[in-house]
Amino acid sequence: MKKFTQFMMIGGLVLPLLFLAMTLQAQMKVQNDLDTVKQKVSTLNDKVAGVEERLATAESDLAKLTKIKLSGYIQAQWVNYEASNVYPGNYFMVRRARIKFTYEPINGIVFVLQPDFQPGNITIKDAYARANDPWLKTFSLWVGKFNRPNYEVEFSSSSREVPERSRVIRAIYPDERAIGAKLEVTPPKFPLKFQLAVFNGNDGIATPDANGNLVVLQNIDYDNYKDLMARLTYDFKLGKWGGLTIGAHGYYGRIKANSLTALNSDYTYKSTLENLGKSVPKQWFGVEAQFYADVLGGLSIKGEYITGVNSIPGITTSASAVTSTNVIKKDTLWMTTTLTKTSNSTPAITKSFSGWYVYLTKNIGKRNQVAVRYDWYNPNTKLAADQIGTAKYDASKTTKDPNPVKTFAGNVATVTQTDNVYTSKLNSGTSDIPYGTWTFAYSYYFTDNIKFMIAYEMPMNKKVGTVGANGNGNVVSAYTVNGVTSAFDYSNVIKQNVLTVRMQVKF
Amino acid sequence: MKNSRKLALIASIVLLAVIGFAFMPAPKKITVKGSDTMVILAQKWAEIYMKSNPDVIVQVTGGGSGTGISALINGSTDICNSSRALKSSEMDKLKERYSSLGIEIPCAKDGITIFLSEKNPVSELTIKQLGDIFSGKTRNWKAVGGPDAEIKLYGRENSSGTYVFFQEKVVKGDYAPSCQTLPGTAAVVNAVSKDIYGIGYGGAAYATGVKHCKVKKDDKSQAYLATPETIAKGQYPITRYLYMYMRNRPTGDAKKYIDWILSADGQKVVTEVGYFPVK
Repeated sequence: MKKFTQFMMIGGLVLPLLFLAMTLQAQMKVQNDLDTVKQKVSTLNDKVAGVEERLATAESDLAKLTKIKLSGYIQAQWVNYEASNVYPGNYFMVRRARIKFTYEPINGIVFVLQPDFQPGNITIKDAYARANDPWLKTFSLWVGKFNRPNYEVEFSSSSREVPERSRVIRAIYPDERAIGAKLEVTPPKFPLKFQLAVFNGNDGIATPDANGNLVVLQNIDYDNYKDLMARLTYDFKLGKWGGLTIGAHGYYGRIKANSLTALNSDYTYKSTLENLGKSVPKQWFGVEAQFYADVLGGLSIKGEYITGVNSIPGITTSASAVTSTNVIKKDTLWMTTTLTKTSNSTPAITKSFSGWYVYLTKNIGKRNQVAVRYDWYNPNTKLAADQIGTAKYDASKTTKDPNPVKTFAGNVATVTQTDNVYTSKLNSGTSDIPYGTWTFAYSYYFTDNIKFMIAYEMPMNKKVGTVGANGNGNVVSAYTVNGVTSAFDYSNVIKQNVLTVRMQVKF
Repeated sequence: MKNSRKLALIASIVLLAVIGFAFMPAPKKITVKGSDTMVILAQKWAEIYMKSNPDVIVQVTGGGSGTGISALINGSTDICNSSRALKSSEMDKLKERYSSLGIEIPCAKDGITIFLSEKNPVSELTIKQLGDIFSGKTRNWKAVGGPDAEIKLYGRENSSGTYVFFQEKVVKGDYAPSCQTLPGTAAVVNAVSKDIYGIGYGGAAYATGVKHCKVKKDDKSQAYLATPETIAKGQYPITRYLYMYMRNRPTGDAKKYIDWILSADGQKVVTEVGYFPVK
């Protein structure tokens, strides 16, 4: 009984202790598990925080990237020239390969850079900064190199219905772009657009250097004169008839004459300039209209007429040469030193011109487009067809020194004299010939990014010059192809049609 | 000889099958893309129209007005839904590509509704107050008669026509950087319903589970809720048209579809969805 009591007492003590130990062990296990979970949660929190941080960085980087936009297009084509002075007469070429980078770091401030990667000739087409007014959302200021404000110039080459711009536009706005500044006014509630620009004025124009060589200056002005340009357009909605945009633009500029003589458009003498830095005018005015109608799909008729005066600077070079002669006359030695000053000058000329173009474009469905354009350019409206080749200016002359310096020492006579030779002449010719050009084009949009175009351009020169008894005209242009020299006689219409088959990829 | 006859027979059958398939009437498909604000309305229109015209498939997708207009210009949609008018730059692209000014069809009216949490004591705001709130000039509800708490902004992505319209009409400048952009008015409504201090904007058709805020032109004007009456009378100050745009005047099935949308039946759907008819 005593043993049983002892056993029970020991059991009574051991069992609670055992239970306590087990409970403690279980609690410690739970605590350990809890610690592990806490540790894992903490690790996960750290990981999530790390991911969040990386995500924020990535989002920030991505936000910067969305401020940069890339677009561009490539036009590859095969061209076939009918004109016999072009060799090779057909070839493949990359006409345009442009990538446009647009960066808008903050709303309304835009930087644009557009190089053209033609094989062997990389050029910068656009490089400008534009700031839009954030308050009225009406004004924008452009600075850099950008399109001159004109309808056909600003119409993208990737969207144009025919391969190239009209002859008049190519003549007065060569390379389309110019360096300068522009203010553009586009009131949001008013269908009006006004552009006012100031340019160097010589972009794309070949100007003479000090040696009389013609060069196209890049990124610098040819003279101190700046050219002003303005354009105003207004859109009318014509209800079911469609819409009409009318507008006008003007150009007011001057260019350094680089000659002491300035000629009129008919090659007659106009004035003597005080120095080579004096200027001659470049001033013209144009009116434009674009009509859009829905006639079983889109149809547009667009046209522009431009008239004014455009000047070509002169070329002036001078040189001096000294010659000595010794002659014995009646026992006297005559030693003559002659300084000959030669001045070669092509006078500056201001030509009155006019030009116009009309497009008729019809879209058929969303993939097909046909277009017809007729454009006319008369580079010299003051010369009749039969005056071209005849009108000329020639004021060349040689003047001998009337009072040479003579000194005598015994039977030796020394003579020093200065002679002047002036050459100053300019003839009318091929640069005065008017041209009318028909262009027919069909475009097929395989997708919005891929366009195929087939176009036929038919330039037709006006028959000019006077025809002699032998039946030949006096306005000719010689050329040599494969060692054979021939000439175009512009008293006839020269065959010079061009076939273009083009593929364009745009992105 | 026998083989060649067999071949000729097989070839003839294949040819006839090809010709047969070619002349099988293809299902007429109209694609509609654009405004997220209009997507429910456009889907409802499509659903009802396809029931009564089983040979026509109307495919509707959203993405925002800007996305729809881009699709119209690049030719990947027949109809573009837009909760804003075409910009002149977009019209220029249509002119360049299609020699067309595009066709604008106003198909419904909408009042841009201001959403507040049902627990928010503020119940009316002026246009100026809204502009200040969404541009970040006003950041505390206390400034407009609410509790002393920071205002949480919810708005649309910049591809949305609602975003552009609200920016032009109300914000008149840049949105506050703190404005959280969400894909669709439904998402804005959802976010505001869960945030006591939230405020958002969007089409009226989506507004459930939130409080509509009355809007007044200025301090002296009367405040109005966006209702058919206030919108029809021009009293509600943030009203706009909802448009359908096409490249050219509609013809064939697209014309029939648009005629139906503008009919009494089509305009009835506008009311059912929560917008306001144009007629």
